[in-house]
Amino acid sequence: MSRVMMRRRDKRKPPQPSLKAIWRTHIDDHPIGLAWSPDGKLLAVAGVSGPITLFNGADGAVQHKLPGHTLGTMAISWHKDSRLLASVGLDGKVRLWDTETGTQTSEMAGGASWVERVAFSPAGDLLVSAAGRKLRLWNTSGELNYEYPDANSTITDIKWRYDGKQFAISAYNGVVLYGPAKAEPLHRFEWQGSTLTLEWSPDGKYIATGDQDSTVHFWLVDSGQDLQMWGYETKVLELAWSFNSRYLATGGGTQAVIWDCSGKGPENTRPLMLEGHKHLIKHLKFQRRGKLLASGGNDGLLAIWRIKKKKLVLLADAVFKTPIAGLAWSPDDRYIAASDESGTLSIAAA
Amino acid sequence: MNTLETRVPVTVLTGFLGAGKTTLLNRVLTENHGKKIAVIENEFGEIGIDNDLVIGAEEEIFEMNNGCICCTVRGDLIRILSHLMKRRDKFDYILVETTGMADPGPVAQTFYVDDDMQEKLLLDGIVTVVDAKHIWEHIDDSDEAKEQVAFADVILLNKIDLVAPEDLDRLEARIKSMNRMAKICRTRDAVVEMDKILNVGGFNLDRALEIDPKFMEPEYPFEWSGIYELNTGTYEWVMGEGPDPAMGAALLPLANNGLAAKEATLMEAVLTFSEDEQAVQAGETLHLGKGQHNQLVLNRKGETVFNFVIQQPGYYMLFTEHHPDEFDAHLCGTDAVLVPLETREYKPDHEHDEEVTSVGITLPGDFHLERLNGWLGQLLREHGLDIFRMKGVLSVRGWDDRFVFQGVHMLFDGRPDRPWGNEQRHNKMVFIGRNLDRAALEEGFRACLVS
Repeated sequence: MSRVMMRRRDKRKPPQPSLKAIWRTHIDDHPIGLAWSPDGKLLAVAGVSGPITLFNGADGAVQHKLPGHTLGTMAISWHKDSRLLASVGLDGKVRLWDTETGTQTSEMAGGASWVERVAFSPAGDLLVSAAGRKLRLWNTSGELNYEYPDANSTITDIKWRYDGKQFAISAYNGVVLYGPAKAEPLHRFEWQGSTLTLEWSPDGKYIATGDQDSTVHFWLVDSGQDLQMWGYETKVLELAWSFNSRYLATGGGTQAVIWDCSGKGPENTRPLMLEGHKHLIKHLKFQRRGKLLASGGNDGLLAIWRIKKKKLVLLADAVFKTPIAGLAWSPDDRYIAASDESGTLSIAAA
Repeated sequence: MNTLETRVPVTVLTGFLGAGKTTLLNRVLTENHGKKIAVIENEFGEIGIDNDLVIGAEEEIFEMNNGCICCTVRGDLIRILSHLMKRRDKFDYILVETTGMADPGPVAQTFYVDDDMQEKLLLDGIVTVVDAKHIWEHIDDSDEAKEQVAFADVILLNKIDLVAPEDLDRLEARIKSMNRMAKICRTRDAVVEMDKILNVGGFNLDRALEIDPKFMEPEYPFEWSGIYELNTGTYEWVMGEGPDPAMGAALLPLANNGLAAKEATLMEAVLTFSEDEQAVQAGETLHLGKGQHNQLVLNRKGETVFNFVIQQPGYYMLFTEHHPDEFDAHLCGTDAVLVPLETREYKPDHEHDEEVTSVGITLPGDFHLERLNGWLGQLLREHGLDIFRMKGVLSVRGWDDRFVFQGVHMLFDGRPDRPWGNEQRHNKMVFIGRNLDRAALEEGFRACLVS
């Protein structure tokens, strides 16, 4: 029997949170992005008001505090060499930072006043930014490679395929595929609905999206076939694939829904349910190479789960005072970084 | 208002281009009201003005469910407001300006459809700025102008210095016939006290009722009734030329043959007028009784005569869509004009044959919750497109708290608010929409009462 059940019965004596923080600190802001450098040495935390703090991953010492974007930072992305960090924000700019010196190396115009998404390619040679309907491809010196044709509506997400040969964007009307070698879209996966977020399966076979109309959409990239999963409580902003592309964890409620995409795929299968949060789940992250799944919710609960015999087993948890605002596994999968809306940041061993 | 309310209030500002929205916005921003305000508008990019913030937005209207226009929302607002809510400690108030031609529906719906919005923001009110001089060019044929008036909690009749007082009165009457719930402020250069437009508590129905107590006065689909004592025989109803080529009428026997049954007969007449009309041509006989909604078709010139054929002697009540005096109409017996024993005039339900109207309903008693839910669900499924806004305070059997609801099109938000306490329990509802059927609405709600 899972510990979730035991917690429910034993109301008088709740078990002590079992995740022990290795270090804990506080930023005076609502954190909107947590990102480990690929070498695991730095943890970048962007605050909604703008500044980006670089913490030493081992002990939480502040390495640098980057000014970020006036009016607010929206997203950050690491270059694979762990030195360059890209950020975008409400000043209309894409900025590149040298995290060793803490200085800005490039500043580019995103194309609209709010630049909301940025993503380095896996190889690190290219950077895509999205500002409203403007989609721009840059090199690491901040030079514009392309401005793609305007999207039909505001771009809500950008994700590269594992090999860097393609990337996908989501917007109202579905998903569009692009390649870095061509200024025109490669393919459109059309869907009449407001698509909010997307995730490639690590093997590149599927693109899953979360939608405003409380559904999850699966696209089989090669055939263009699609599946719609409905019955969610609310809009779905939380998607996470397991490293082997077998499981897709989806939020959109107080319970997370985990689809098994092995075999013939998730169609007509009964998903696994993650139960234990009292309010909406806001973050779901699988380990990069391991099997653990971390969930964080508006109830302040951070929980680590393992899928065992088609059930979710709670391994460890911790409770924050305010809703969880971000989760990130360290590159070696040994640590989980979590922040809450009040600005508490804590790193624990899984 | 609930003092525990932690949601940030939002005011939506609508109005045609040039009506004075920007002037009003600038007033709000420069007024020393001690609030920190974020403004979302369409025109220019994000700028900070002292403490306040102005964000330019491009309207992006999304359908939530394939093709259902009741579920259209503003995607750009969801994104911008989600971001603003993360810095919520810094803003006390949010103003959203729409483009001139905007239908306020999607903006209002955004605050119902998205859970994050609903949890953190409270739609305080919709303020519509009307150009008192130029509105006449739009109000008859622009759906947007009608919708902007119909959706409003507060209407600013602006530029009054350009309009004669009698035209202003005419305009105000016209607007009231469409939306009786809104507070109307006459302004010049959009000068208005801030507490007239901010924190108006759009949810607060009690306050809406205070403003126009006459609002809840029942309205009828006819303007006149007369009671006649008639013997067996044939009578002639003679009508002259009038303002309309035809007129609705119903002739009902007074129940139990007595004058005491007037009120019951009145209700029967309301229901009768909600039935389909049957045309009655010159020289034909009026259909008698409950459910017989006659449409008396007049000759183009001169008098037109219709027959009443009475088989049971007794008291009869004649209801007419317009006052008989407008047509010089009268009932003739064999040798003389008959004078009604008693007449009554009614407040007509729409002064202008307005397509967009408001309907206010008050009912005594307690609602049966399940029946009410079922009826509301059916109502919104069938007529959600035509119901722009609704609000209500209801008494539900077994509940100590008042049940308050408000909605936009098919979207509905109902919850208990505070205990009735010493207040007399009652049910009050307001609907604003297109082609609303008052009798059917009232009948539907009445059927949900605990008998």
